[in-house]
Amino acid sequence: METNLPAEYYQLLEELQAVDFVLVELTLYLDTHPNDTASIQQFNHYAQERKKLKKAIESKYGPMQQYGNSYSGTPWDWNKAPWPWQV
Amino acid sequence: MKYVKSYVPYHSPFDPCPPIGKKYYRTPPHLYMTFQPYNLPQFSPQEALKKGTLWPALYDYYENPYDRRS
Repeated sequence: METNLPAEYYQLLEELQAVDFVLVELTLYLDTHPNDTASIQQFNHYAQERKKLKKAIESKYGPMQQYGNSYSGTPWDWNKAPWPWQV
Repeated sequence: MKYVKSYVPYHSPFDPCPPIGKKYYRTPPHLYMTFQPYNLPQFSPQEALKKGTLWPALYDYYENPYDRRS
């Protein structure tokens, strides 16, 4: 059954991807610059941003992760399609 | 073609093969930046994702220098 996802799904995921990349870069940067408070504030800002984004995505499209990293819908739906590689 | 340098290897008169001409090697920006300074300007998240780095000072895209010769 072919259910194409709304454009908003891709847009939200791309935004999440961009925020994740910034967090990765900042983590690596902060490993060598532990006292850079401006970057730490930026890191915390984006960490909070990511939580909001994750909440928004999961409320609409179901859990993204497992083992307690995401809330589950009813019925148990973490393994329902589409999987990340199918999207 | 910002961070690319080239050299011409010596071609001996007894070398049966044709001369190679110009050879290129890459010198990315992090070579010249020992310790990353604080508060460098940053890309926007979307642009950083596309360009592969958060800081324009470290941005180094690949462009095949040999393409132009052929």
